[in-house]
Order: sequence, then structure tokens, then C-alpha cells
Amino acid sequence: MFAIFRQLAFRKFRRAETHLHELNYLFWECTTRCTLNCIHCGSDCHRDSTHPDMPLGDFIRALDTLDTRAKNFIVAITGGEPLIREDIEDAGMEIRKRGMRWGIVSNGQLYDRKRHNSLLNSGMGALTISLDGLKESHDWLRNKPGSFAKVDRAIELAADSKRLNFDVVTCVNRRNLSELPSIYNYLQAKRVKAWRLFTIIPIGRAKENPELILSDNEFKEMLDFIAEQRNRGQMDVKFSCEGYVGAYETKVRDTPFFCRAGINIGSILIDGSISACPNIDRSFIQGNIYKDNFHQVWNSGFKPFRDRAWTRKGSCATCKDYTTCQGNGFHNWHGDKSNPLVCHKGKLEDIN
Amino acid sequence: MRRRKIRSIVGGLSFASALFIFQACYGMPQDMLDDVFIQGKVLSSTTNLPLYGIKVESDYEENYVITNSQGEFAFYTPWSDSLKLSIMDTDPESDGNYISKDTILINPGQEVFLNITLEEN
Repeated sequence: MFAIFRQLAFRKFRRAETHLHELNYLFWECTTRCTLNCIHCGSDCHRDSTHPDMPLGDFIRALDTLDTRAKNFIVAITGGEPLIREDIEDAGMEIRKRGMRWGIVSNGQLYDRKRHNSLLNSGMGALTISLDGLKESHDWLRNKPGSFAKVDRAIELAADSKRLNFDVVTCVNRRNLSELPSIYNYLQAKRVKAWRLFTIIPIGRAKENPELILSDNEFKEMLDFIAEQRNRGQMDVKFSCEGYVGAYETKVRDTPFFCRAGINIGSILIDGSISACPNIDRSFIQGNIYKDNFHQVWNSGFKPFRDRAWTRKGSCATCKDYTTCQGNGFHNWHGDKSNPLVCHKGKLEDIN
Repeated sequence: MRRRKIRSIVGGLSFASALFIFQACYGMPQDMLDDVFIQGKVLSSTTNLPLYGIKVESDYEENYVITNSQGEFAFYTPWSDSLKLSIMDTDPESDGNYISKDTILINPGQEVFLNITLEEN
């Protein structure tokens, strides 16, 4: 009874959020250059990495079109590897001058003490660093020997910071699944307070590599691991917002699944394209900052993101959880969009 | 306005206050910490000329800057109701040797501008 009441209240909340569609979270894909050439890339597996970096002034002009904004608005600077650019600190200062907050998502390779200091001085308040295993498995996925040593240094610096809201993300795959307890111990020893785990969707390079995609049983094993660590309560461990996980929802996250892409999350991509999360299929692009007013596009575009009834097809057509899930994470709709690439709940049901 | 009220009420009823502080799948956490933007200039008390290479450090040791050729500095640091700044001459003595000093900011606002003078040793 209590759970039903809570679920109804949550659905009403989600409808109100969708109607208001306040932009709270803006990705800026400032570069597609990277220090690594990973076996899998969460940004976009198809992109031409020779695209020139977006000039800071172009991004700031788009940002300045926002005449109103949510109180907790934040810019997430991403890439490629954002720290490959030397003007991230200038970007940060410009963002803070406008009363906004900012953070970065980094592979940690260029994150040394000097950079840590200069980023904090420029008002950086949030940071995510990707760690995909202990030495051997991290270096394997990152496709570069020695990359673990550098990310280890970055984690040490970030976890010691009194200023940063910092978390580590791990892309769980077949190689590092059995290593999760050891990674947990490693992070705990480094005094990391928050750890987010996600899986890899079968697009781009990941599609051809069976070691990257978890089987249904392995997926369940990962969720059980997360649930167990959450019960221990020593570190904030959670499953990312990548998909709806049915009965596991209350066990692996703080809040029910709610894909906010295009509802509260927008992005300005490397070529000026306006979209939601950077890993969403490019066919959903809503405009371009070089032709359109960013704020107007945010206010009046994004229809497929804000009315997801079109996702009620394929495996979603007859799903009893559709009203709660609404087609899973938006980044799961690729290609001809006849079916979500991954149904997380389905993976769990297929085991039984 | 009505929608905002509904959102707050039903957000609370679903017992998920954290709903308002979310994180995108591939993004970083949000930043809710109060901080202060401190900027200013360091001058010689004898010559009134700007001092280059002076370290200005907050209570949080990870936040420090070195003054530029105009003696200017600017940085963000976490807010505190009593924020200590240390101003130190850490570069070689060849360009003068100045006595370090501390200053305490009581209940600073979001932005603070400081003119600091250092005495020659």
C-alpha cells in the first residue's frame, strides 16, 4: 500500500518535472580529443576525434542566452578528455562569473596536483573520474599501460579534497566483474565516498567485443553486489541512471529511475549541436548554437524527450512496467528505434 | 508557479528529497557547497608597488594562488564563518624579502576584494 502510494506520488512528480522542464544540468562537449584510445568509449563510439575544439567564446555566447535558469544549474564539462584543453580554468571562471556551478568528467590522466589546484581555484565544485578496474583490467580497457598509475594519483588528490563533490565511475564488464570487491576495498582505502557503476550498451566498438557486455546473470550479479554494499552503508555505492531495473530499483539507487534527458539535462556538443546527454543518438539533435538560440531551443524543442509515448513499441509495447519505465534510458534508442537496445528489467526477468 | 508547488509536494510525498539533486548517467555530481571568490592585490608597504610571486593561501591548503606581475590574485575557496588567509613571500630573496602575514575574514560574503600590504623584512 505504502509502495503504491509512493509510486503514484513519484509519477505525478515526474509529470510536473517534465512539464516544467527546467534546465538543471548542461553538458558541454568541449573537445573530442583524448589522451587515451579506449576499447570502449562512453562519449560516442562513432565520432571523428579530429573535430576542432569548440572555442570557449562560442559556448559562453550560448550560455548567455539563458535569461532564466534553475537554482542548482550546473555545467558538466566533458569530452573527449576535457583536461587536454588548457583553458578549462578560464571556462570555469566565466561560468562562475555568471553565477553558475561547474564540474568535469575526466579519465584522470592529466589530473596532477598543479591542475587540481588550478581547477579548484577556478571554482570547480564537482568531479567524476573513471576507473575501470585495478591495474590490469583498467589498463586493458583504457588500452594503455600505465594509465592506472595516473588515475590512482587523480583519485588520491580528488578524494582528499574538502571542496569537491567527487565520485568514481566504473564501467562494469566481464573482466572486472569479479574484481568489484577488490575495487571497493581499493576505493575505501583511498577514502572515496561515492562510487557509481554502469554497464556498456552494445553500440560502436562495444558491439563487437563480447568481453564488454555482461550476460543477464552477470548483470544480476553486479546489482546484487551494489545492493550488498548499500546495505553495509560504508560508501555511497549506486547503479547509474542508465536504465530501469524493476524489483531492484529500491535496492541499487537512492531515487526511482527517471531518465531526465531533455527534461532537465541538455548538451552543447562539439559541433554546436544541441541535444541532451552526449551519448544519445545524433538523430535526436534539436538544433545548433551556430544557427539557433540555445534557450529558445531548450524551451520549445525536445518534444521526443518530453513526450515519450513514441517509445511504446517493440519490447516496450506490452510491458506491464512501461508507465514506470517509459522506454528505459533515452540513450538506448538508436538506429531505427524499433526497440530499446537494452531492457535492463528484461535482462533480470530472462534469468527466471 | 502552481506546477512548481505540485512538484515540491509530490516530490516530498514520494519520500525522495534527493530527486531534486540528480546526476546524469555520464555526468558528475552536483555542487551545493558554499564558497567564496577572493580577489585582490598585494603591494609593498614601502614602495606601494605590486608584489609578484606572493603566495596567497586559504585555510584549505589545496587553495592557493601566486600573485601575477600586477600583484593580483583571484581564487575560489570553501566558505567558512572564519576564513584564514596566509600571505607569504615564497619566491627567491633576489626580488626582496617580505614578512608573511595572516588575515582572517569573518562571515565573508560570496565575493571579497582585498588590498594587502606586506612589509619588507
